[in-house]
Amino acid sequence: MVTKTEESQLKNLEIQVDNGGGGAWEYLSLIRKLKVRRSDKVLKHGLSILNDSKLRSNLGPEEWTLYEQVAVAAMDCQSLDVAQDCTKALRKRFPESKRVGRLEAMLLEAKGSWDMAEKAYTSLLEDNPLDQIIHKRRVAMAKAQGNISGAIEWLNKYLEIFMADHDAWRELAEIYLSLQMYKQAAFCYEEVILAQPTVPLYHLAYADVLYTLGGLENVQTAKKYYASTIDLTGGKNTRALFGICLCTSAIAQLTKGKNKEDKEGSQLQSLAAKALEKEYKQRAPDKLPQLTTALKSLTLSS
Amino acid sequence: MGSNDLKYEVSQNAYIKLVLHSLKHPTSAVNGVLIGRISNDTVEITDAVPLFHSQIPLLPQLEISLILIEEYFSAKGLNIVGYFHANERSDEFELGGVAKNIGDHISRYFPQAAILLLDNKKLEALKKSKSSGAVTQGCI
Repeated sequence: MVTKTEESQLKNLEIQVDNGGGGAWEYLSLIRKLKVRRSDKVLKHGLSILNDSKLRSNLGPEEWTLYEQVAVAAMDCQSLDVAQDCTKALRKRFPESKRVGRLEAMLLEAKGSWDMAEKAYTSLLEDNPLDQIIHKRRVAMAKAQGNISGAIEWLNKYLEIFMADHDAWRELAEIYLSLQMYKQAAFCYEEVILAQPTVPLYHLAYADVLYTLGGLENVQTAKKYYASTIDLTGGKNTRALFGICLCTSAIAQLTKGKNKEDKEGSQLQSLAAKALEKEYKQRAPDKLPQLTTALKSLTLSS
Repeated sequence: MGSNDLKYEVSQNAYIKLVLHSLKHPTSAVNGVLIGRISNDTVEITDAVPLFHSQIPLLPQLEISLILIEEYFSAKGLNIVGYFHANERSDEFELGGVAKNIGDHISRYFPQAAILLLDNKKLEALKKSKSSGAVTQGCI
């Protein structure tokens, strides 16, 4: 997950590099550090550095890290010959390296030779059973072949060993969501929130899943998590504001006979509605009438 | 059920928006709604609204977006007439459970709704050749 400052820094560097002003190496290093996926840019700028022998020698030993980065980007963009050249150069330089072995297995995967890639990964794992990247590649391969249940199995095994990997928990949650297994997805998000309780995105996603599950308790908990998202983002998260309105009207529908939480609920909803209207006025004033009618229909249907 | 032969017309505007949306997010599934009207025997799809490119199966965003879209377009006399979906993997040609559910929901409100599924292989070919065949397959 990238923060806003990092995202804007990345964007600035990207614009700079795209328009011919230097800084390609800083850009590529930032991408490597943040682990974002910008494969076409990496390929373009990485190749321009590698093909220029003066720039290449300036990098010194970092040259090989660049080769690795460009190889992976090339595989993502399906430029398999570029990837092969980079891997060959790396193999020549580091003949016994496991890291290069991993790249070669990834190349097989990119070509679509699933069985050979599977064999390569298994043998690499025998030598080094704690290599996170190889485990993840296996999950990715299962997912790419459409074997979702296999992917879930591998991912669960991985998470038994590496319980602190939040990205893996998020990936598992998304897979469960695509299969509409909402309860399991909720569990994954709970793990992530426990590990990183100050990231509002997870609270928002968890609230979404709870709302989708339905049922009075879940919707009430969802409302709390939307509220915590608003708390963590200082009231700027539009989705959470909408979420609160939806939850309040859903709760009101589910508790038609009782009027315990009437006052509290409607106060929160009117606050959320006001905040939404203010935001729309600022950012999209011509959509304001739709918003007001929609909000009215939500409160009326309660 | 499509007992009478309904014709479906997709306008260029709608088509381009959907294809561009899926091209912008090549690594995830995307979906959207089709807007239009029905006149005589033809369902004219005049516009499209791209919806999500992540977290597709989650309900709250879907509800809000459908409410807002309905509001906006009924002022112009148009309804939601269909649903568009593009899968994540390039060789997946079936409508997943999520897409089917959303499609069913939309067809409850508009019985002649159409679902368009993006054919990813044809989309690839579009970049290399200049063929003008549709890159979607329709299912009702």
